[in-house]
Amino acid sequence: MSELDRELDIVGKSYPQIDGMQKAMGKTKFVTDLVLPGMLYGRTLRSPYPHANIQNIDTSRARALTGVKAVVTYADTPGIKFGPRSEDWTIFAGDKARFYGDEVAAVAAIDEDTAEEALELIKVEYEALPFVTDPLEAMQPGAQLVHDDKPANIAAEFKVEAGDVDRAFDDSHIIYEERYYTNQVYQAYMEPMAALAEVDLSGRITLWTGTQIPNMMRMTYAKALGISPDNIRVIVPDYGGAFGAKMENNIHLVAAILAQKAQKPVKLVNTRHDDFIAGNPRVPMYIDIKLGATQAGVLTAKEVTVVGSAGARLVYSMVIVATACYRVDSLYRFQHVRSKGYTVYTNTVPTACFRGFGNSQMTFVLESALDMIADQLNMDPAELRIKNGIGPNETSIHGWKITSSGLKDCVIQATEKADWQKKRQQKEPLKGIGLACCNHVSGNRPFAREFDGGAGIVRVGRDGRVTVYHGESDMGQGQKTTFAQIAAERLGVPLEMVHVADVDTDISPFGLGSFATRGTLMGGNGVLAAAKDAFRQLAKIAAEILEARVEDIECRQGKFFVDGSPERSLPFREVAAQATFARHGAPVVGTGFYKPPTVLPDPDTKYGNISPAYPFACQIAEVEVDPNTGQVSVTNFVAAHDVGRAINPMATEGQIRGGITQGLGWTLMENMAYENGEIINPDFVDYIVPSALDVPDIKPILVEPVEPNGPYGAKGIGEPALNPTMAAITNAIYNATGVRVKKLPVSPEKLLSELKKKEAAD
Amino acid sequence: MRVPIHIIVNGEEYHLEVKPNRVLLDVLREDLGLIGTKKGCGLGKCGACTILLDGRPIHSCLLLAAQANRREITTIEGIAAEEPHPLQAAFVEKGAVQCGFCTPGMINAAKALLDANPDPDEAEIKLAIAGNLCRCTGYNQIVSAIQSCTPSTSDRPAAARGESNE
Repeated sequence: MSELDRELDIVGKSYPQIDGMQKAMGKTKFVTDLVLPGMLYGRTLRSPYPHANIQNIDTSRARALTGVKAVVTYADTPGIKFGPRSEDWTIFAGDKARFYGDEVAAVAAIDEDTAEEALELIKVEYEALPFVTDPLEAMQPGAQLVHDDKPANIAAEFKVEAGDVDRAFDDSHIIYEERYYTNQVYQAYMEPMAALAEVDLSGRITLWTGTQIPNMMRMTYAKALGISPDNIRVIVPDYGGAFGAKMENNIHLVAAILAQKAQKPVKLVNTRHDDFIAGNPRVPMYIDIKLGATQAGVLTAKEVTVVGSAGARLVYSMVIVATACYRVDSLYRFQHVRSKGYTVYTNTVPTACFRGFGNSQMTFVLESALDMIADQLNMDPAELRIKNGIGPNETSIHGWKITSSGLKDCVIQATEKADWQKKRQQKEPLKGIGLACCNHVSGNRPFAREFDGGAGIVRVGRDGRVTVYHGESDMGQGQKTTFAQIAAERLGVPLEMVHVADVDTDISPFGLGSFATRGTLMGGNGVLAAAKDAFRQLAKIAAEILEARVEDIECRQGKFFVDGSPERSLPFREVAAQATFARHGAPVVGTGFYKPPTVLPDPDTKYGNISPAYPFACQIAEVEVDPNTGQVSVTNFVAAHDVGRAINPMATEGQIRGGITQGLGWTLMENMAYENGEIINPDFVDYIVPSALDVPDIKPILVEPVEPNGPYGAKGIGEPALNPTMAAITNAIYNATGVRVKKLPVSPEKLLSELKKKEAAD
Repeated sequence: MRVPIHIIVNGEEYHLEVKPNRVLLDVLREDLGLIGTKKGCGLGKCGACTILLDGRPIHSCLLLAAQANRREITTIEGIAAEEPHPLQAAFVEKGAVQCGFCTPGMINAAKALLDANPDPDEAEIKLAIAGNLCRCTGYNQIVSAIQSCTPSTSDRPAAARGESNE
């Protein structure tokens, strides 16, 4: 019987996080809470210049300070160039610092005060150099080069073209063309980046850190340190949020170098200031869009040019720019598309992943453009989406196989719930309602070339305790609970019997990690496969005892029985014990993996199928604009999301509410501001994120077309929760005021000045 | 130089000698091992370090330990009796906990509110936690968890009603 046909006991029900009470009682040990005997405290000295030659570093006074155990610079590293996707990183700045915040030196001391004091004693002689912070300026002839070997500061280019774009534009009834800009924003997870590093006598490094990619990180760091990946062990304790940011970052390596030098464990926690200036915030992008449509509102052609700022080194910005270039092409039935993407070095903090991964930037632009098209055609924006939206069992222009799509249902259900028709027709002054859709992935085939699936281990101990090992990452979203539900469902035991181990690369499967909205589908399918294997082993023992055929053995609520005769049953614990004894102490260990039916995109045409499942959404925002201040209040929010089947509806709705709140912050409040190459608001005093006062009652709607490739039918939700939010709000602002927001964020000052301009023109 | 202080933390008395520049947060976390209180920013802007000082919510990252002399401090570890505090139960049941890093401070802010005003309305709840940032949940469920602990709600979680989870 297929998993999808089984009657479900645990999947599809809302459970609180299995470790929620630990957290609420303050007992969870987060990365920054960890302490080892003899542990030292690290601090990083960072460049105060956006671009400078480093002429000399004198660490003698810092080294002489009582309590200082190690002071390190580039000279203490192997000096190997490395990077997750490039070779433009070094562990510390060598002869040049390339951004305000670049790592220059670090200290390990007996306490944080001493480490802080030692930083002030390090004397660095800089020679300030001209710098460039804007990617369009950086591409101009004669611009300051960030890396001498990259002409015009172009780090990477991306191109894709399909269909006959020029002809399709010629045949269009209307064409909309505009330049948009999406700004740099900070993930603002509540626990700053941190690492605890320990080196053993053989030189093997153990890193405790909050990371989304425990295994892939080892590969990058092994190269940087000139050692085998086997000699790096990564352990992922509970950690306080990530939202894309917690992938590779130099601070992990700085902690390792300090631990090597001091021969003691070193904990390095970013101050919030350091986290702002040297985390990996969102890739800012200039996006030129040209979009055509027929008179009937059928989209004809789309052309975009994306220029994204990589900052001073490549983390994942080029993949993010590529994603911006073409992921939305599979949201609607586009037939003629052309995209160009440029990833450009600048003297700013290296940019990387933030919920949405480039698709959020482009979704803002495309969905704004669609609103303008609908306006010009005098068409209901909801109808425009329904008319063009991709449906189930369709193949997109780039070959993506849309197995399930609840896009149309999302639009229908969201508009009903929000009373869309009525509110659009009976518009009140300075009040508006706007809508936006999105697609996304549940895993991204090209992200790691070798494979893209997931794996699990399910161990059943003598007493029936079930432990799930996975290689993804619970950054707070509740992944442990999701995996526990999947394992409990398949094994037929109550949820309390299932525990989920922290990821430890010495023990856990080689998972790729939590990014690309892949955890539930890829990791969940891996756990499901492992649970099936463990179940088979236990069912064999139960069949012997119950004198039945193994294929007739069922287990529900912790009791094995022969299918059809639940009156005679064996406790799960008893079967686990018998299995362990029969094997002379060997536990039941189920392993399994999931290989998704994806196709690596062709390097030239990009034709392929990057994910086994594609989630969709439609969000509707309502706003009120204060004409005297330009202040926008989001007064209501409806979000319909195609999530396949929600493994845990409460957790799924939690993702939706959290994503929308981050999108609301990005749209109306958040901006990393630069002055003379320096980030001038690197703290929560001047960089404002939404508080409880800024967020309306968000009404999630779960649209659940069972996804054939998902574990129990589930797709991912992390990123689509945010993708449409910006355009939903700015489309509502347009509806309220007639002002089209082309640059994020729309601060009250900016909107006020637009309102005044409009007033003068009218 | 060190300053002698006498503080009562979660009902236990401590006589400590602290450097005059040490903040209460660090003393709680490092000297007393009360890691439930979190450091999110060090500038009193995120609320993760919120504790109760003589029953009132304060940012322990901004208060010098010496200023807490002769005061009574409650941290997240001290608000549960034999059972979890109703707010703790409500936060878990309502999905108000995701990564959990803001949770201890948030629960302390909520407890201070309910102690002073047992039946706040939604606006009062939002105002009381406005200084506590949460980046995961979007706040809706936090507000709902706090509301479920007020007498005028019919939506009280099982544990808050004094019933077992079963």
